[in-house]
Amino acid sequence: MKSITPDRIQPRDHKALIFIILAVILLLAFCLDVLLGSVSIRASDVLAALFKKGDPGIETIILQFRLPKAMTAVAAGIALSVSGLQMQTLFRNPLAGPYVLGVSSGASLGVAIVILGFSSKFIPGNIQTLGNWALVISAWTGAGAVMMLIMFISSRIKDIMTILILGIMLASGISAIVSIMQYFSNETMLKAYVIWTMGSMGNLSAEQLKVLSVTVAVGVLLSLLTVKMLNALLLGENYAASMGVNLKFSRLMIFAGTSILAGSVTAFCGPVGFIGIAVPHIVRNIFRSADHRILLPGTVLAGGSVMLVSDMISQLPGSSGVLPVNSVTSLIGIPVVIWIILRRKRETGSF
Amino acid sequence: MIAMDRFQNRNLRFILWMSLIAALVSSCYNSTAGLTESDPNNSDAAIKYAQRFTLEKTDSSAILTVTDPWQGAKGIRQVYHLVGRDLETTGWKDTSAIIRVPVKSVICMSTTHVAMIAALGRIDAITGVSGAGFIYDPRVRERIGRGLIREVGYESGLNHELVLSIAPDIMIAYGIGSESAGYLGKLKELGVKVLFNADYLEKDPLAKAEWIKVFGALFSLEQPADSVFDSVCESYNQIKGFVQRHSAGKPDVLLGLPFRDTWFVSPGDSYPGRLIEDAGGKYLWYDTKSTVSMPLSLEEVFLRSLKADYWLNTGSAASKSEIASLDPRLQEIPCFNTGTIYNNNMRISPSGGNDYWESGIINPHIILKDVASILHPEMFPGYELFYYRKLE
Repeated sequence: MKSITPDRIQPRDHKALIFIILAVILLLAFCLDVLLGSVSIRASDVLAALFKKGDPGIETIILQFRLPKAMTAVAAGIALSVSGLQMQTLFRNPLAGPYVLGVSSGASLGVAIVILGFSSKFIPGNIQTLGNWALVISAWTGAGAVMMLIMFISSRIKDIMTILILGIMLASGISAIVSIMQYFSNETMLKAYVIWTMGSMGNLSAEQLKVLSVTVAVGVLLSLLTVKMLNALLLGENYAASMGVNLKFSRLMIFAGTSILAGSVTAFCGPVGFIGIAVPHIVRNIFRSADHRILLPGTVLAGGSVMLVSDMISQLPGSSGVLPVNSVTSLIGIPVVIWIILRRKRETGSF
Repeated sequence: MIAMDRFQNRNLRFILWMSLIAALVSSCYNSTAGLTESDPNNSDAAIKYAQRFTLEKTDSSAILTVTDPWQGAKGIRQVYHLVGRDLETTGWKDTSAIIRVPVKSVICMSTTHVAMIAALGRIDAITGVSGAGFIYDPRVRERIGRGLIREVGYESGLNHELVLSIAPDIMIAYGIGSESAGYLGKLKELGVKVLFNADYLEKDPLAKAEWIKVFGALFSLEQPADSVFDSVCESYNQIKGFVQRHSAGKPDVLLGLPFRDTWFVSPGDSYPGRLIEDAGGKYLWYDTKSTVSMPLSLEEVFLRSLKADYWLNTGSAASKSEIASLDPRLQEIPCFNTGTIYNNNMRISPSGGNDYWESGIINPHIILKDVASILHPEMFPGYELFYYRKLE
């Protein structure tokens, strides 16, 4: 393998080709995710259902189960990968990801309070009757509270590594509180909570999918505005500052983008691991570039595809059982992260 | 103490005990291992349905063996020697397995244990419970209110010091997994007798109810326990036979609720599966076999639910709007529109205790009649549901 630097100079049309391929893969993965599932449905029946001409049962499965699930997977994959990319650049750390600042622990605390805290006064199973929105709102509140705290800290503290360490400490502290709540809860509540932490793509109602799509779109737009800042930050904070980048403002923008992206995905789908860490690295290696004008759209395309593939695997097409999606993303993401670490031994990374 | 026995147990058993005391003096000096080797033939015949326990009568004691007391346990046997209070046991090697009967102070970790004791009329012996808020029986709740029954907590939140201060004759527990044995280990070490009750693992409705025989042995109320069980069996089989002879068809039945996009489906050879079969219904997953609930994708369950005639046991959902708020797509299940959704939450205490999970264990015949009358209303004209309720 050659060293990275000469490879980075790629012809423009080469990059355009990669973008086209990634877009085709995304489209293909989306179609496959709709086509494949626990229930075997023929492609012709899927088409008939899309035009509302088929069997009503199949139609409901395609239009109300698989399409929303595939759309959720795309939105979640994009959101996590983009926020992972931002965090890795901001912290100049290849292992940073959307959850490095404690967004997911904040969300878990919110959910734990609802599932493990409150409901202990009622029947343990009662949590289910709180409905679809209870968990979403509580997760959002928890994630939002943590992000506000981090933003407040970052407005006071200059050193980015201190912020990273504080973020990790905050996350560990919150996990400890959640552990205490788990310790004192019974097995029904514990199961409900554990299932939430395993993540799922297929539980969003139509309105929730709308909310998720809008928030992810807003988050991605915010991240597009930070592209220049991110490129400057690659060269170090001091250099970026000398180039006229307002460090505090850009941090605020990046944190806001990340909290919107990672926070809403965690709220709707649970904490989905490793996608946010692995996808930016995959994209950097495909494009052999560190330019966020290329990485960001690349991450959007690849993030959606990887999440769709993970969702497909978790549905175990052909069998009636399902796997928790969080395990699948971890099993896909972990080898990627290991590969990155091993490569970095031999080559200079992009940080 | 002997007078006490006679008072509680005016039956042949007492005479038997007395006549066997002489034989006992020698036999109780044997090791416990020697006792377990005694003739098992005269015991198993008495247990008709239950798979997880055996009760053997020996000269000096009754030997209660609980097999695989938690989910996934394989080849685990827990042996308890139920020995009369007045009998000598000084020569026994392992006294931890000896339970003095009749027990007078019991801590119940599950509501089903409370129901069994209540069915034997010995609520006065309950000194501690786990999850007091989940108890339905008003008499038990009244005693909790008066401080006669204490809340001991559960699992890792178990209040060890309180348990020790109550110093029960026996603590009746249930295990969710092998590690559950761990949190009770300390109590055993401190001399608290812990009996694992595996009633919840029994797959047959009558097998669950048969566990009352264990309580009968513990309270030296074997005959009342047997007669309760026999009458339950008789009613159950009568209803089952009636339905099988006269029902017109077998309506399809859907059970449970999903959690997020996973539906944990009870297998066909489980308790609810068998009950539906006996009530003249066809459970949608009647042909599946598993020891645990199967995680199925929502779309898989949805497709199958399209042909369900009835939808039962909707867990925490007490109304149709609650089901809809869980997942709006569940409204597409035909039962939602035909209004054939029933839940087992007719009898709920103010604090949320559901009698279905309590006295239901000893009333499988009533549950069967409820379900049978839901599935075949024409066969039970005028019958009023006891545990079940139609969701509106």
